[in-house]
Amino acid sequence: MLTYNVKIALKSLRRNPVLTALLIGAIALGICVSTTFIALRHLFAKDPLPEKSHTLFYVRMDNWDPQRAYVAEDPKSLPTQITYRDAMALLKSDIPVRQTPSYKTRMFVHPDPKVGRPFAENVRVVYNDFFHMFNVPFEYGGPWDKAADAKPEQVIVLSQPMNEKLFGGGNSVGRSVRLEDRNYKVVGVLAEWRPSVKFFDMTQSTTQAVEGIYLPFNFATTLQLATSGNSDGWKGSDGTVEGFLASETVWLQYWVELPTPEKVAAYREFVDNHVRDQKRIGRFQRPLHTAVTPMPELMKEFNAVPPAVKSMSIVSILFLVVCSLNLVGLLLGKFLARIPEVSVRRALGASRLQVFWQHVVECELVGIAGGVIGILLSMGILRAIAKFAHQQADLVRLDGEMIVVSIFLSLVAGLLAGIYPAWRVCSVAPAMQLKVQ
Amino acid sequence: MPIGPILRAMKHNRTRFALIILEIAITLAIVTNCVNMILAERAKMQQKSGFDDENLLFVIATPFAPEFEEQTYVEKVAHADLRALQAIPGVKAAAATQLLPWQGGGSSGTWKTEGYPEKFQAQIYATTRGLFDVLGTPITQGRGFTEHDTPTDPNTSTKVTIISRALAKKVFGDANPIGRVITNGEGDTPRTVIGVIDEFYNPYAWNIGEYVLFTPGRSFGSRGSSYLVRVEPGAMKSVVSQLEPRLVAVNGGRIFRTLTVSETKDGFFAGGKLVIRAMTAVIVVLVFVTALGILGITSLAVSERTKQIGTRRALGATKGDILKHFLAENWIVTTIGLILGVIATYGLNYALVANLTDQKMPWYLVAVGIVLLWLNGLVATIPPALRAARVAPAIATRSV
Repeated sequence: MLTYNVKIALKSLRRNPVLTALLIGAIALGICVSTTFIALRHLFAKDPLPEKSHTLFYVRMDNWDPQRAYVAEDPKSLPTQITYRDAMALLKSDIPVRQTPSYKTRMFVHPDPKVGRPFAENVRVVYNDFFHMFNVPFEYGGPWDKAADAKPEQVIVLSQPMNEKLFGGGNSVGRSVRLEDRNYKVVGVLAEWRPSVKFFDMTQSTTQAVEGIYLPFNFATTLQLATSGNSDGWKGSDGTVEGFLASETVWLQYWVELPTPEKVAAYREFVDNHVRDQKRIGRFQRPLHTAVTPMPELMKEFNAVPPAVKSMSIVSILFLVVCSLNLVGLLLGKFLARIPEVSVRRALGASRLQVFWQHVVECELVGIAGGVIGILLSMGILRAIAKFAHQQADLVRLDGEMIVVSIFLSLVAGLLAGIYPAWRVCSVAPAMQLKVQ
Repeated sequence: MPIGPILRAMKHNRTRFALIILEIAITLAIVTNCVNMILAERAKMQQKSGFDDENLLFVIATPFAPEFEEQTYVEKVAHADLRALQAIPGVKAAAATQLLPWQGGGSSGTWKTEGYPEKFQAQIYATTRGLFDVLGTPITQGRGFTEHDTPTDPNTSTKVTIISRALAKKVFGDANPIGRVITNGEGDTPRTVIGVIDEFYNPYAWNIGEYVLFTPGRSFGSRGSSYLVRVEPGAMKSVVSQLEPRLVAVNGGRIFRTLTVSETKDGFFAGGKLVIRAMTAVIVVLVFVTALGILGITSLAVSERTKQIGTRRALGATKGDILKHFLAENWIVTTIGLILGVIATYGLNYALVANLTDQKMPWYLVAVGIVLLWLNGLVATIPPALRAARVAPAIATRSV
C-alpha cells in the first residue's frame, strides 16, 4: 500500500514541477535555518559525558561576607569556587568514589633549545581521579597513580597538541619535560580531547581550550603555584602563601563522583555538617547554604549556551513555523484543485482513510526532500560560520544526532503542514462532485 | 468602498486568511526582535575608544630568569625596554601599562570621594608618563604626570591620578575636578586628581567602560611587564617584525607576546558580527518567504474565484473594483496579522530578554516593522490582484 501511495504521490508531484519546487523549497529553507541554529545551540548544550554526567557533582558553599552576598544584588548567590581549607576538609570524606579539587596555573616550559625558546603554558593541577571521573581519553600511558598524588611525584600528563609541540608526536611516555626549575616524567599522553564546552571549569569562558599539561595537585602548595584562573576574596589576607591558603579567598573547583542517590544525600549532609562545624569557629557567618550540583544542571546555571545562540535558536524555530504555514497554504491550494479527481476515486470505492494517507504520504515526500536539501545547505552555512570561530572551528558541524533531529523536524513539518489540507480533501463527498461534473 | 461584502467573501476562505494572519504576526515578531538585537550589537561596536586604535600594539614580556625576582632589576629592564621600543623606526611613542584597549576587561576597583554619596566602580591602570601620547588623548585640564609623581619606594601607594572626563562628570558634576581626592572603598590610599583626559572607552563587564583612573605607579613586577606602543600610520608591519629581536637583545630571560589593538578589537566583536550577519540573513529571507507566501496563497484564491470574478465583471464591476477588492482583502488580513504581531513581538521580546537581559523593545521599531510588512503585503498582492482584474467578463458565461 505504501509503495502504491508513494507512486501516486510522485506522479502528482511531477505533474506541477514549479509548485513542487516551491513546496520543497519552503521546507528546505525552514529546515536549513533551524538546523543551523539548533546545531550551534547543541554544540554548547549537549551532554559531554552522557553515560555518567548525572553522577558527577560540583560542590559550592557560601563562605562570603556576612554584610554582602557574593553577587551583591542576589542574597542567594553562591561563590563559584571554594577555598583551599574547605577543599582540604572535603577531601577527608570517603563518601565520593572519586573526587578532586582542580584549578589552572601557568608555568614556563623549557623545551630542548633545539626545539625552541621557553614558552608559558596553561597547566591544570588535579588529583588522578580527574582523568577517571571525566573519562579523559589517553593515547599513550595513563594517569599517574595514588602514590604519585600523595608524595607528590614529579610526573605529568601531556595533551596531544603539547606532545606534538614538545616531541613531535609519538609515544613520549618516560621522557622528561622541564617546567620552570625542575624535570617531570611524562606518564601519559592524551588522545584528541576537545570538548566543545570546557565542562570541568566553567568559571571563565566556557569555550576555552583545555590545558596542555596536567600536574599532581599537591604541587599546588609545595611549589606555591598561584592560580591563573579566577580567585575572588572578600577578606584580605596577609600576602603570604600560607595566609592565602588559610584565607576566605575562593579559587578551587571541586568535583565528586556519587554513583547512587543514597551517596548524594549522604554527601550533601556531609558538606552541610562541615559548614556547621566551621560556623562554630566563627567562619561561614551567612545562613547555611551549600550546593552539590549535578553536571547537566551546572552547565545550565553557568550559561554554557551563549545567550545570543539561545535567542537565535528560538527565532529559527519560529522561522520554520512561518515556512510551514506557507506550505499549508500551498498544499491547500494544490489539494483542493484536485477535488474533482479525488471524488472520482472516492466514488470508485477508495475510503476516506486511503485518500487521507495518500495525501499525507505526498506531504512527507516533500518533507524528506526539503529536509535533505535543508541539511545540505545548513552544512555549508555551518562551514562558513566555523571560519569565524577561531579555536573551535572543526567542532562547528552537524553530528549524527543533529542530522537525526533535522530529519525528524522536516518530517514533523511535512506532517503538520499536510494534515489539514489532507483532511479537507478526503472529507469531500463523492456524489456531490460527480453531480457538478 | 463597501466593506461588508468583502468580509462576507472572506468568511468562505477562513483557513487561508488565518494562515496569512499567523504568518504576518510571526514575521513581525521575528523581524522587530532581530532588528532590535542588531541595533544593540551595532551600538556596542560603534563606541569609539578615543584612541588611535589602528596604530596601537601591545607587547607582554613575561620573565622566567630568576633575576627578575628583584624589583630594581625589573625596573632597569623595563626602562631599557621602553628606550629600545622608542628607538625602533616607525614607533611614535611607548609606555609601560596594563591597559590593553578592547580586550573586554582589565583591572578595576571600588572608590570613594567626598561629595559623591555612594562608592563607585572605575577602571584603574598604572602607567609610565608617555601613555597619553601613546593613546593620542591629550590632557585637557590640569597637568600630566612628572617623574616626581612616581614614588621612589615601590611599596608606597601613588598620591596623584589622572581621570577621564566621564568619571569627573559622574562624581564631581560640573565642579572643577582638579585638586579633589579619590580614595579606595575603605577610605585608604588617597589620590589627588591632577588632570583630566576627554576621551576614554574600554569595554568592561560592568557599565564602567568610560570611567578610569590612571596612576603614575609601576606597572611591572616579577610577573612581567607590558607595553602599549603607537606607530606611524602604515608602519605596523615593520615594527611588529622588529619588536621581539630588539626586546630579546635587551634581555633574553623572558618570553614575548605581541597583539595589535585592531586584532584585539576584531576578536572582541567577532561574536557580535556573527550575530549581525545571521540576523540580517534571517530577516531578508523571512520577509522574502512571507511575501512569496502571500503571493502564492492570493494567487490560488484568484484562480479559484475566476468564475466569481467574471460574474462580477459581467454585472458591471470595473477592473478597478476587482483590484480594489483584493487589495482591501489583503489590507484587512495584514492589519489583523499586524495587530496580533504586536502582541507576539512583545511576547517574543520577553522570552528573549529573559535570555539576553538588557534589550527592551523600542516602540518605533515596531512602527517601522508594521510599515515594512504593510508595504510587503501590498507588493505581494498586486501581481495576483492585477491578474484578477484582467479576468474577462465572458468567463462567467462559460461552463467548467
